[in-house]
Amino acid sequence: MKRLAAIAALASIATATACGSTGQENAGQGGIYTTIDGSKQINASAPINPFNPVGSVFDGYNGMALAWPKNDPIDPNQFYPAIARSWTSSPDQSEVVIHLQPNARWSDGKPVTSEDIRVSIGLAYTQGGTAYALDPKAAGAAATIQVVDPTTIRITQGANKSNTFLSNLLSTVVVPAHVYGSLLPRDFWQKLKLAQDGKGKPAEQAKTEITGLADKVIGFAPRQDVSAGPFVLERINPGAALLKRNPYFYDSKLIGPDKVELLNYTGNQQIWNYLIAGKLDNAPFTSVPSAVLDRIRAVRGSQVIKGFSPVSTSLAFNQARKPYDNVHVRRALAYLIDRAQVTKIAAPEGGTPSLTTSGIHAEAAKVWLGSAFSGLDPYRLDPAKAAAELKAAGMTRRGNKWALPDGKPWKVEIHVPASFSDWISAAKSISSQLTDHGVDATVVTAADYTLYLSELAAGKYDVGFWLMGLGPSPYNIYQRLYGQANGWQMFGGRLEHVAPGTEGNWMGGPETVDVAGVGRVDPGALTSRLSFASAGEQKQIVGTLAKVSNEQLPVIQLWDYVNTQFVNTSRYTGFPPDDSEALRLSSGVWMQLGMIRKRQA
Amino acid sequence: MTVTVIPEMTAGTTRATLRRNFWRGVWRVLCRKPSRMAGVVIVLGFAVMGVIGPLLYPANLPRDDNALYAPPSLQHLFGTDFEGTDVLALVITGARYVLLTGLATAVITVALGTAIGLFAGFRRGRWDSALMRLTDLNLAIPGLPLLLVLSTVWKFTSPIEMGLVLGLLGWGGVARAVRSQTLSLRERGFIEAARGLGLPTRHIIGRELLPSMAPYIAMNMLIAVTGAVYAQVGLFFLGVLPFDANNWGVMLNLAVFSGGALTTPAALPYLLAPLLAILLLTLGIVLIVDAMDEIFNPRLREE
Repeated sequence: MKRLAAIAALASIATATACGSTGQENAGQGGIYTTIDGSKQINASAPINPFNPVGSVFDGYNGMALAWPKNDPIDPNQFYPAIARSWTSSPDQSEVVIHLQPNARWSDGKPVTSEDIRVSIGLAYTQGGTAYALDPKAAGAAATIQVVDPTTIRITQGANKSNTFLSNLLSTVVVPAHVYGSLLPRDFWQKLKLAQDGKGKPAEQAKTEITGLADKVIGFAPRQDVSAGPFVLERINPGAALLKRNPYFYDSKLIGPDKVELLNYTGNQQIWNYLIAGKLDNAPFTSVPSAVLDRIRAVRGSQVIKGFSPVSTSLAFNQARKPYDNVHVRRALAYLIDRAQVTKIAAPEGGTPSLTTSGIHAEAAKVWLGSAFSGLDPYRLDPAKAAAELKAAGMTRRGNKWALPDGKPWKVEIHVPASFSDWISAAKSISSQLTDHGVDATVVTAADYTLYLSELAAGKYDVGFWLMGLGPSPYNIYQRLYGQANGWQMFGGRLEHVAPGTEGNWMGGPETVDVAGVGRVDPGALTSRLSFASAGEQKQIVGTLAKVSNEQLPVIQLWDYVNTQFVNTSRYTGFPPDDSEALRLSSGVWMQLGMIRKRQA
Repeated sequence: MTVTVIPEMTAGTTRATLRRNFWRGVWRVLCRKPSRMAGVVIVLGFAVMGVIGPLLYPANLPRDDNALYAPPSLQHLFGTDFEGTDVLALVITGARYVLLTGLATAVITVALGTAIGLFAGFRRGRWDSALMRLTDLNLAIPGLPLLLVLSTVWKFTSPIEMGLVLGLLGWGGVARAVRSQTLSLRERGFIEAARGLGLPTRHIIGRELLPSMAPYIAMNMLIAVTGAVYAQVGLFFLGVLPFDANNWGVMLNLAVFSGGALTTPAALPYLLAPLLAILLLTLGIVLIVDAMDEIFNPRLREE
């Protein structure tokens, strides 16, 4: 139903856009649009380079990709056109032909051509990536890149096919060949061919030379911004970046504001204060306490838009450690956690309690699983069932506390990064709930997220918080549960399961498991198959993996995120509605879709 | 011929009399200004809170799921936190860690600083040079960044561990000051006399020098407690130390970053309660230091 609503909403936006652009080309234009970039903070000394993680290139404004992904719950290949006006793909995605916008121009007036795309792809190879892997056996790696004409480019996929190839191709960042071209050596494409198809030392040397260009590409600092997007960087300081309209943008008439100001922030509090002061026309997803949200809502023109966000939070187990190797213990903990209570405390505005553990966000799970979703065990709060599970695991009750089968005290340490306040609140709520039921639980924080992830990967934690359900691609979704973190890795194009505690396998789950009504399955192999299976087979695999996740509980799914966006309609109107497929994209992309118009006096 | 019999006073009796006189003097000084008495009451109150506070509440503090961030009321004087737990209960049960850390830090700071300062000042020469370079090194170490780095490898679960690190980082200032005082005192007549009598170094340092510096050392010890409270609360506030819901620094962190206390009034009591506790503790210590100044400084006493 939500999907239908989203499609209907999008159709209405398209209609409105079409109506709005007839006759009155200057209507709804002008002014400075103020927002923040949700993906990064502003670094005034960073180069104007999209390959630099902190570079002063902002997606949708002066940073462009071939296309922008739609927020579809299950299909990763749904995109809005950007530099690519259209594209065609063979059914197995072995060949993709991309047609560029015929009127696309860089901000210096030069046309955007297939050669720019070719150079952009060459630069992407230096950074590595799924579609641009140097290993020809890697799933979904591009094999050939052919410039057909100045606005058409054909790309073929290697032998090891992936159904996310199109999606990965369309996400390619586009940069001007006349600015970045010199970064690639003259014989780059010959070297690439040698690296991909050659054997022995020369091939290895070619690979080393290509990957060796990575730092040079990241560090490259063009003297001025040359953008194919609707805006171009005018100036930047530590407090804000100011972008002005790119007069050569191919759909300039759709762009409402004359300028965009991206404010810097150091934390959520600063974004809350901007919103309360009415400074921002839009702020992307920001975690907000209920009381702060009430204040933001009270600001004149303030509105909250909500939509699907394909991310969930879970409590993950290291199954290589006792007693979490025992599924009864994991189930017992699931029966002892009141997820609604946890969500109320930790993410009252930005999440909904997970209906059960399926590995997928509930919105997507309903589409993937249909009626089978309601057949999964919901693991509602049930201390009696938990006690039965703990007894089945051999745990003993000593006084008012549960102890390990050997009689030693059982202490559950829940690990979270200190910088995630919602996770800390959730972990504390879980520890309180478990303690109420005789399970001695404490919260342990790691100084920052990077340290947390490294300690988690090193297998130092028994139980920790984990992001999951990262859709819409089902392969990406289940990679979080049955991928590298749980021991399944690709070695030379072959899937292997490594021993717990090695090669980043911190989840330590078994290689195969018995699933009621299905038999013995290898969840990692099934997950890997998702990357190239047909739509019908994908549905079947997702059904099996949801069942595996629900029965085996490698994680306990706690809450599913809701994308909560803040907009202020005092200065601009035409923002996407609730559940819009464009909701997770930047305001710059909304403008490209003709959504943001200046409020008429 | 008359013989005057002078009653024999044993050393023990003399000391007892001195002690009695000293405490009478202390009482007089405290009574002179009510603020000083208030300081003693505050610090004693915190000490009692640290010792018996956690015994007044169950190990798992009660929560009210329907009163998250509840405003102050008779039932919850400082409202409730994100879980519906009474904020005052959190402050009281969290006092033990804060005070123990402060105490451990103060003891280590003063013990190390005094020992090194006394030894360096009394011995002079090579020992003085070596120990003062060590002190310079200690003073040059940027405490907070070092603690931030240390927190990535050390979890500081016990207040003694925390106090040990803070103490090891903070003795430099005391050592320098004690050395200066020692250098000054060692030239005085009574020390010369003690040396002339051939008294051992241990006696000169322990019985002659140390008592003269005791007031200064005692005041430094109290000030070190406040320093330690700020340092550890700051580290917990930054979120680099282990999570403990009733730690005052963690409470400040959650009030600001989770509850939005600086943006809306809903979580303000949750922020103010630990702040007020820190303020009161500091105030109590400062008032006692004021009293100590008069107790140990004869010139002030005469006024």
